[in-house]
Amino acid sequence: MSQDGGADGFDDGYLVRRAQEGYLDAYAELVNRHSLLAYRVALRILGHQQDAEDVAQDALVTAWQQLPQFRGESSFSTWLYRIVTRRAVNRINRDRRHNSTDVLTEVADDSSRTEIAFERNETVDAVTRAIQALPPTQRVVVVLHHLEGLSYADVAAITASSVPAVRTQLYRARRALGSALADWR
Amino acid sequence: MTEPSQARHLLDPASQRLACGAGVDELLEQVADGDADRPNSHQRTCPHCQAAIAEFRLLWAPVQDYARQPVSLPQRLRRSVLQEVDRLVHDVWYTLHLTDTGAIRVAARVVAAIARDAAGRVPGVRVALGRSTESRIAELVARATSGHLHPHAAVGVLGRTAVIDLALAVSYGEPVHVVAHEVQRRVIAELKQNVGLQSVIVNVTVDDVSPLSAE
Repeated sequence: MSQDGGADGFDDGYLVRRAQEGYLDAYAELVNRHSLLAYRVALRILGHQQDAEDVAQDALVTAWQQLPQFRGESSFSTWLYRIVTRRAVNRINRDRRHNSTDVLTEVADDSSRTEIAFERNETVDAVTRAIQALPPTQRVVVVLHHLEGLSYADVAAITASSVPAVRTQLYRARRALGSALADWR
Repeated sequence: MTEPSQARHLLDPASQRLACGAGVDELLEQVADGDADRPNSHQRTCPHCQAAIAEFRLLWAPVQDYARQPVSLPQRLRRSVLQEVDRLVHDVWYTLHLTDTGAIRVAARVVAAIARDAAGRVPGVRVALGRSTESRIAELVARATSGHLHPHAAVGVLGRTAVIDLALAVSYGEPVHVVAHEVQRRVIAELKQNVGLQSVIVNVTVDDVSPLSAE
């Protein structure tokens, strides 16, 4: 899926094993390699820098805590994608409950929520709003497949779903995104 | 090309197929996956498909632009993560075994004490101390165990894995490598059996000998 080896020659599998033995330096290197992935995915799902930073930090700390249970059946990056996307969806659901309003309305009405680490332009704003108008599950599959470039099989593995289910979610998400972008255009 | 309003109509949930019978979702998938330039034999001659593909290509271009936008990592993120992990290691320095009936935690100092005791019972071992002989590990261990009853216990634990550094003084005349091997074997067996650890690594440094007269 994504890079499993670094420029220094140690692959992620080696670093995971050393981190599981308690070597913090090994985990620090994993954080160096994968923190951008965690942040980028969270940002694209949530559309807000501070929320994305919180979720990415939470995911990377959780990964450390759950490292003893990681059996290496998938790559570290796949495992991290899974943790980040779950945390991001939990964040969306928590915010929805907390605000007792629909996130879609909130996002559409509050431009400050769609700000940030991207260089601002109309296209980014429009796509960000369109993605955030999707239900959480569809947001995740769109981000993983169309923005992160992962295969249907990888997306299914990350979301604990099946390839046909991912495909169905993407059909719906693309129609919704296309409609929103047609209106914007 | 179709007008935007026609594209909007095509994406209406009720609209499943073009006039030629081609599926709308399959065409949009083809474009979104970057395969618009690979038409099948039907699409090469079908004006309906060609118009829809052209329209979807325009429609999807902003998403492709968005995917290419670089994302900058906040400077503080990595530092914050590592500070939090460091805090966890410092404050919660336990083995962790999750079972169906709950979590079992054993403090690293207990692991260290069991390891030292097991090592001390090996024939030929005069003194067994837990300490690191490697500066990087020593620094880590000193920081992580500074609040413990045995602050110099050189034990790193995570989950059901432990790495133990032992420094030995052996009796003069004993075959050193045999004694060291036996220390590793007994400590590993003791910790697996009595603490429930899955993986134990024992680094042994023999750094002193005690003369027989000391016995």
